[in-house]
Order: sequence, then structure tokens, then C-alpha cells
Amino acid sequence: MNELQRIKPPLFPVEKVDIPEAASFTLNNGVPVFLIESGTEDIMRLEFTFKAGQSREYIPLLASATNMMLSEGSQNYSSEELNRQLDFYGAFLHLDCDRDRAEIVVFFLNKHIEKILELSREIVFRPTFPEPELITLMKKRQRWHMVNREKVNKLADDQFFESVFGRNHPYGYMVLEKDFENINPSMLREFHNRFYTTDNMAIIISGKIHIKTIELLNQYIGDIVINGIYNPDNKINLNGEKGKKVFVNKENSIQTAIRIGSSTITKRHPDYPGLKILDTILGGYFGSRLMKNIREDKGFTYGINSSVNSLNLAGYKMISTEVGKDNHRKAIEEIYKEVSLLQDIPVEKEEMTLVRNYMSGEMVRMFDGPFALAESFKSVWEFGLGNEYYQRLAEKIRIIDPDEITELARTYYNIDDLYEVSAGSK
Amino acid sequence: MINYKRFELENGLKFLIHEDKSTPLVAMNILYDVGSRDEDPDSTGLAHLFEHLMFGGSLNVPEYDMPLQMAGGENNAFTNNDITNYYLTIPSQNIETAFWLESDRMLELDFSQKNLDTQKSVVIEEFNQRYLNQPYGDAILRLRPSAYKVHPYRWPTIGRDISHISETDLDQIRKFFFSHYAPNNAIIALTGNIGYNRAHDLAQKWFGPIRKREINERNLPAEPEQTEERIVVIEKDVPADAVYKTWHMGSRKDPEFYTLDLITDLLSGGESARLNIRLVREKKLFSEINAYITSDIDPGLLMIHGRLMKDVDIKEADQAIVEAVNSLFDKGHIEGEMEKVKNRYESSTVFSNTSILNKAMNLAYYELLGNADLINRQIENFRKVNHKMVTDTASKIFIPSNCTTLYYKSTRKEL
Repeated sequence: MNELQRIKPPLFPVEKVDIPEAASFTLNNGVPVFLIESGTEDIMRLEFTFKAGQSREYIPLLASATNMMLSEGSQNYSSEELNRQLDFYGAFLHLDCDRDRAEIVVFFLNKHIEKILELSREIVFRPTFPEPELITLMKKRQRWHMVNREKVNKLADDQFFESVFGRNHPYGYMVLEKDFENINPSMLREFHNRFYTTDNMAIIISGKIHIKTIELLNQYIGDIVINGIYNPDNKINLNGEKGKKVFVNKENSIQTAIRIGSSTITKRHPDYPGLKILDTILGGYFGSRLMKNIREDKGFTYGINSSVNSLNLAGYKMISTEVGKDNHRKAIEEIYKEVSLLQDIPVEKEEMTLVRNYMSGEMVRMFDGPFALAESFKSVWEFGLGNEYYQRLAEKIRIIDPDEITELARTYYNIDDLYEVSAGSK
Repeated sequence: MINYKRFELENGLKFLIHEDKSTPLVAMNILYDVGSRDEDPDSTGLAHLFEHLMFGGSLNVPEYDMPLQMAGGENNAFTNNDITNYYLTIPSQNIETAFWLESDRMLELDFSQKNLDTQKSVVIEEFNQRYLNQPYGDAILRLRPSAYKVHPYRWPTIGRDISHISETDLDQIRKFFFSHYAPNNAIIALTGNIGYNRAHDLAQKWFGPIRKREINERNLPAEPEQTEERIVVIEKDVPADAVYKTWHMGSRKDPEFYTLDLITDLLSGGESARLNIRLVREKKLFSEINAYITSDIDPGLLMIHGRLMKDVDIKEADQAIVEAVNSLFDKGHIEGEMEKVKNRYESSTVFSNTSILNKAMNLAYYELLGNADLINRQIENFRKVNHKMVTDTASKIFIPSNCTTLYYKSTRKEL
């Protein structure tokens, strides 16, 4: 082996990330449409997004049940017929309801666009919420819920959100088994009438855009006008629970799930890009401090990570792992130790370069292909932001210095403010 | 249509290149032709443990991940019964870093005792997390040795017994490396923003000097035909009963494969599939049910498993699965449903090929099966299946003596 040949190749920095601007226009009925042209295949991702997430519901499950029931029967089609047609045209429907938004996303081959638009119009605007289908769905979901509540991960997640946001906050309350028995069709119809309205929505399209795309959208969607009553954003006070340390008991668990974190700033705050970088160093990638210490050095876990997430009413940060029950306390101590180190000792130059380069590569991946582009667009648009957020993030990745990281760690990771939730057997 | 070019180095290492200039990234997939089927029955789980060790440092690189991340790259790997597969994406200007790293760990690993000890603990935690600390997580651990008596598919990739992992030593690991990790036992696919010439030059420079290694011919015991129905019962504290059924089928390479793939799509591909309509929506026997094939290179399994609704008798649920399978023989509605699952298959294939990483994984895997061009023939092969093929194959596969059933029973009283 010629040794000269094995010299490490030079590295070339990511100079600039190409972020295409979404084109936008308005349908005849005033609904905003955002178009992102990308990719080589003749396919499309069509998304209808409404401010109709859990933070709008007045009893548990209302928002998600409304969303999941959309494809269970409409004015012109039975549930079976809707699902059969979607399958027949090779369309993949994702109904998704999170804390702030409810979404209907359809992936399909462009050659079927007219049929898909016709079916989408039925699903989104003309659902009938038939009772037999609702009963079946709720019983099914109740069973899924019971199985999930056997998992230490789910127990820890539910408790974490209750502790951090408070048991009365829409981001915080836990779903209980009996909640699945309290939903009826008229509640769903009322929720749909109020929040699935043309003045409360947007359409996001990505993939191959054709000249006819806009015309067809106007033909199938542009004539629908449903105005809701004025629904201002909820201004609910965040009231985290008093106890910072909670242990949820689950008999006979071999592993204990750990969640550590608290509420934090949202994407709208100027410190958010810096906080993202700090979080990446702590636990946001394979080479992070938590992975290096708790998995790669101690072997306590199969995986550990941290994340910073932005919701409409608040953000939160969360460190998450599952460890063998005997290592539970040791793992928690090591987590706090890593947080303290970031507050006390400036990050060395080499690690700064590592995280800069890794995150620059991540930014390239975030804008590669039609689906990634749509997700990246949406995740700033819903906060009233645009590509300037990504420009700021890219710039921050380039220029942030170790002192700023230390400062951010002191400001946002005060250990006394962190909630510590564990689920497992004592 | 996915255009690609291939070449082979003198040491036997095969390359497949698909250029796509619309992305600033390159995906690199390295497939090693070694999986858990190649393990000694008394030392199972080694192929997967080895995958972890591949990140622990090689001859000239103390650690794999750091320099890759330094170049803006991201990577992962998986092991299954048949293969160990490593993949990454990286901005195209830094693709040489990927060649440097991957060739170095193909050349020779250099990890420490400490590294081995840590990765053993990590894998044991993985075993606990995925199989022991999940409701129904151990079903597959029981099902495999019931369905297979002889062939190495009888143990799961994580290992037959976790003590096999804890007892492995460095010598065993070294032996495993040199008998399976070699240029002549690997396939590399590169997709994205890289042309043939650059790929060829870099391949020659970094992988060319690695010598061919002696690879023992694979000689696995064939699983004898199953001659009587097998029933396994597990009783545990889970919230609901569950049924698992498996039938022996042929290899991924058999023409019958597409027929069986289509059969499982008829049964559970999409909300309007037969098991969902009949057993979940109409009869309300299951809260969820799935049918799929394991797609193994040696003769594999067709599996159906579901979790029961409250107050449903487990035998009745089992019988309903059998009836749904038998309904495949009826002509009524079948043509329309076949057209539906074919359209759906076409659509999901097109969607899967929008990702350069999927394309790289598929090219390498189809090359291992003997023909990378399968990447362009999947839809056509699937479309060729007709109802006679469905009934012929179904009547061969779905017979009780070819079936293993696992009843996973809840011991909870309040049900």
C-alpha cells in the first residue's frame, strides 16, 4: 500500500445553499397557494393546511378525530369508495394533526391530478362524519392508545408535556382512555365548520408544476367559499407544573426512559438560530456531546438526542433517551454535566468547525428535492417567516463564536428550570 | 428510467454510477454481502455487532464519523439476514472524503478493546429497547425459531441469545472481518452529482490498491419442507391479544416473488385492501392488521399479523384471516383490485426513486441479486402478474402444513 495515497483529501466548504423562493398566487376564492418547482419526476405533493390543531379543541381528541375522519365519507362518496379511489390512482393520503395545524397531504403522479383534486375537494370540504365509521375509528384508536401507554417512551413523553406546559394547556394535557368515548359526529361537524374554512387555510404544492396546474386548482377548489367566524389565536398562559422531577412507574421495565427539558423561545425570536447550534453541539447529531459521552463512551444507551422545537404558542427543548434501569441516575448526572460544561467552558475551535461544517451539510439536505423543500418552506411560513430565517441561520452557523454559545447555554439551559421526567420501574 | 453505468476494479469491487445533476449532493451506498445468515449458530448477532464496530476506527482514521461530519456528510447503516449496508450523503465537492473513509475501513479496521466493550453494551441496550421493553417486542424472537428449524434465518439479526454478544472477543471479530469484508464481497453505488469519470478515478485511487481476499463459498443448510402446522402460544401482560401467522415462500430471486408481493398488497396495501375492509372495518375483529413478505434472498416468509379488538375470540380472528386469504381465489372484484394494487405499486416505486439515497440502495441491492437493471423493471414485473398466477401461488403457499401461528395472549383480567 502506497502511504502517500492514503493522505486525507482536502475539504471544501459549502459556500452557499441554494434556497429557491416559493412562487405564490391567490385562487379566485382568496386562498393563498405556494408553488415550489423541483425534482425530475412528474409527481406532486399537494398540501392543504389549516389552523385547526389541538390548540383549537375544547375537548381532547376533537381536532385529531376531525382530521382523521375527513376520508371516512363525503357528500358524494362513501368511506370505502374514497379509500378505494385513492388507492386506485396510486395516491398516498396523509392526514396529520399536530398541536397547531391540521393537514391533508396527497402524494400522486401528475397524470392523475384532476381525479385527485376532485377527491381532495370531497375530503377537505365535504366530509359527512358518519357515525358508524367514527365509532370504529375511536375504538381502534383507543386500542392503539392502550398499547402505546405500555411503552416507557410514550409514558415519559406524555408526562414531559404535561409537566412543561401544564395540565390545562392544549400542548400539555394527556389523552385518557375514556376520552375516546366522548366524541360524536355533531362535534366534528361543528369543529369542521368553524376551522376548515377558506379564510383559515393555505395550499402548498411541490414537485413538477405544469401550466395547467393553477387553472385546475381554480376549477376544483377556487369556487369554494366557506368563511368561519373570526378565530383569533389563543392566548393561553403557559403554566408549567410545580414539581420539576417526576418518576412514572411502569412495573417490570428493563429500561427507563428519560426526558429533560423545558419550554423555550420560538423561531420568531432572534436567538433561535444560535439556540439551534447550541442544541446541535449538545445532542443534535451523531457526533454530539451527549452521544459521545453516554453512548460512545459509557455504553448506557442505544441512542440519546436533544432537540429544540418551535410551536405557535411556545417552543420547547428536550433531551431524550432510554437507558438500562441500573444506569438511570448515572445517565442523568452525565446529562447535567454536559449541560454545565457548555455553560462553563468555551467550545474548542475544532468542535466549532465540526458543527459548522456538519450543519452546513444539513442545510443542503434540507433543500434537496421537492418534499424536503415543501417541509422547509412550511416550517418557516407558519411562523410568518420566510427564507430570510434560513439566511440568518446560515450566517449564524458561519460566524457564531464560542463565547456566544456559552452565553446561550447560560441563558437558555438554567439547570434549575429544567424538568426531569423518567418512566420505568424503580 | 434510471440510467446508470457500471465498472469493476481488478480486485473484484463493483461500482454502479447514476448521475443526477439536479442535486448538489452525492449518495454513496456500500453493500457487503454478509448478514446474520452467515453467522455461526453458537455466535449469533456478530454481523450486526460488527456493523457498530465499523465506526470505531480504521488503519489510518481513528474515528469514522468525525471527518465525515467535518465534510458536511451524514451516514448510517443497517444489517439484516442477508446483507450489511452502509450509506451516506455528502455535498458533492467533498465526495473524496467519503472514498477515503470507506476505503480505509475496507482496508483494515483498528478498534480497541474499550471500543468493543462499549459497543457490546450499546447493542445490548438496543436489544432491550427494541425487543424486550416493547409490548409484543419478543414475538419475532419466538416466531423465527418456530418457522425455521435448520436454516440460519431461525435467529434474528440482533442474535439468538444476547450472551453471544457479551461473550464475543477481539479474535473472533478479526476473523469475521477478513472472511467477509473484502472488495470482492462488496458493491458500491454512487448516485447524485457525480459523473462516471470522476467516480472511476476516485474508485481506482482509493479502492484499487486493496487486495482481493479469500471468501469462503456460502454453504447454508436448506430449510426442509414444513409438513405439519405449528402453533406457538405466548401469555403475557399486554393490553390485547395478537395473532401472527407465517407461511414459507420462495426466494427474492424467484419469479413468484412478484406474485406474492402483489398478494400481500391485495391483503393489506392501503386502506381499501381486503384485510382492512373485511376484518378491521366490517367485522371489527382487529384494531390493526398487516401482511407482508420478508424479501429474503434464501427462501423467506409471508407474514400476517394483527392485534385484536376487545372481546374477540383469538381462534375466530385466526379463522377470519384464513377466510380472507381464501377469498383471493374468487373471481369477483379481483381484476379491479389487481389493477388498483399495480397502480399503487407503480406510484410508490416512482416516489421511492425521487431520493438519490433510495436509488443508491436499490442499485446496489439489485446488483447483488444479479441484475442492477431490476431497478427499471420492477413495475413491469409487478404488472405481469395475473389472477391465475395469484391462485396458483396462493394454493401452493397458503396450506395449513406450511403455516406457523403464534397466539400472543393477554393475561389481563379486565379484558
